[in-house]
Amino acid sequence: MAYENLSIAEMGRQLRAGAVTSKALTEDALARIAAIDPKINAFITLLADAALADAAAADAAFAQGIDHGPMQGVPYALKDIYDTAGIRTTCHSKLREHNVPAEDSVVAAKFKAQGGVLLGKLATHEFALGGPSFDLPFPPARNPWNTDHMPGGSSSGSGAAVAAGLVRMAMGSDTGGSIRGPAAYCGTIGLKPTYGLVSRRGVFPLSYALDHCGPLSWTVEDTAIAMEVITGYDPRDPGSADVPAPAFRADLGKGVAGLRFGVPRHFFADAPGLSPEMLASFDAAIATLRDLGATVEDIELPDYELFSLCGRVIMLSEAYAIHEQDFRNRPMDFGLLTYLRMTMGAFVTASDLIQAHRLRRELSEAVTTKLATYDALICATGLAPAPAFKDVPPTPSNWPMQTMPFNVTGHPALAIPTGFTASGLPLGMQIVGRAFDERMVLRIGAAFEAATGLYKKRPALAA
Amino acid sequence: MTEAELAVEFDVLARRAGLDIPEDRRAHVFAGFKDMRAMLEQLRQPRTAAHEPAGFFDIATVNRGR
Repeated sequence: MAYENLSIAEMGRQLRAGAVTSKALTEDALARIAAIDPKINAFITLLADAALADAAAADAAFAQGIDHGPMQGVPYALKDIYDTAGIRTTCHSKLREHNVPAEDSVVAAKFKAQGGVLLGKLATHEFALGGPSFDLPFPPARNPWNTDHMPGGSSSGSGAAVAAGLVRMAMGSDTGGSIRGPAAYCGTIGLKPTYGLVSRRGVFPLSYALDHCGPLSWTVEDTAIAMEVITGYDPRDPGSADVPAPAFRADLGKGVAGLRFGVPRHFFADAPGLSPEMLASFDAAIATLRDLGATVEDIELPDYELFSLCGRVIMLSEAYAIHEQDFRNRPMDFGLLTYLRMTMGAFVTASDLIQAHRLRRELSEAVTTKLATYDALICATGLAPAPAFKDVPPTPSNWPMQTMPFNVTGHPALAIPTGFTASGLPLGMQIVGRAFDERMVLRIGAAFEAATGLYKKRPALAA
Repeated sequence: MTEAELAVEFDVLARRAGLDIPEDRRAHVFAGFKDMRAMLEQLRQPRTAAHEPAGFFDIATVNRGR
């Protein structure tokens, strides 16, 4: 079997059985990156020498019977907003083009402690907001399914790299959908965990109230393994939750028979820009869940637009506050899209922001109340497949994603593929669970994934 | 509010924020401002003083790790 088709669990089994070495896995990944990445621009910084050294260390550890955990010897990559000690962390921006952090982010440190092999740092939208852009120091990542199309954002390089088989798992971040959007557009799994479950320390913030760190991966099991590595209470992250780490893989084989799911169909059913192919794919997915034994019912939540505007007001206010000095002193160093989007935060008053936070509480309570009755909610991830670069507006007044509600409420949300358009672009949905019930979300995702087998289909570019 | 009144408000808020918006970007930023302003109106719902915001100061969280 080609190495890129090995799951993280299977890599782990073969590494421990001596059937493969981390060096071989890493060399194979580097060769794929050399062949494919020039077409999709997923990597900003490639760490070939360091990765081979990490791989050699992992192989030496295996030889000595030392086992630090499931990521030992496994190649992975990080969105370039995760601080990495001694390795530049650019946020895809001229403003931080030469920034070299002294310390690792908590997530990078956890992978390092396990003996993971960091292949490099991945493209993002500038400061996780402005993109896709062609006026930045690095080109935008492209969608492996059709390189004329965007891969979603802001974890654009993460989605592209995973879909193209350059890496089995990559870390992203999600403030309004920046993990789930690229996952949906690139046909991968993407998990936005519960707010506070994964430390954000050392990850460049977009919005303190809404930022989440999480993985994009090829399969649900890969995501569960990554979550086992990165989850943990961090007393130095003010948003970190002091809760026990779940056994993320414990329920993957339990199926969905007997579970109850709610569908807030009004979020998207009449939304302008809804793609008929997206709706058909979503309905087929619901039918699959019913065939697997779940009960699925339409439910009512507050209007989608309330979730969206609440999240956008908070996100843009905080983003502007974070970058305020640079906006005053060197505004032309931001890319145009970042400038146009982030400037909006300057027009939000203190009263507006407080009203947004009051609305946030009401919306969160509404979702939590509904999840007392249902095991999970099933929603569209977006209204349409990945747009072509030429069709992306500079200042979208209504973003065609449906991801913001669960940044506002903090509930865990898993993006998973549901099919493809006639032109071959991925389509997807999201599975939303109770706070800190990632096990249920992953369980549902695993059952759906096993039933559909969509993960087996990969872009022609990656073959 | 008329377009002219909106433009005045836009200029005041931009100046207060210390922004010097280049002329060739002004139309885009102003269009975004109008969208944002319409959005902000929707935040206001019937509420009593007892309706506190989300995440409004957990003393243990704010002070820990310091």
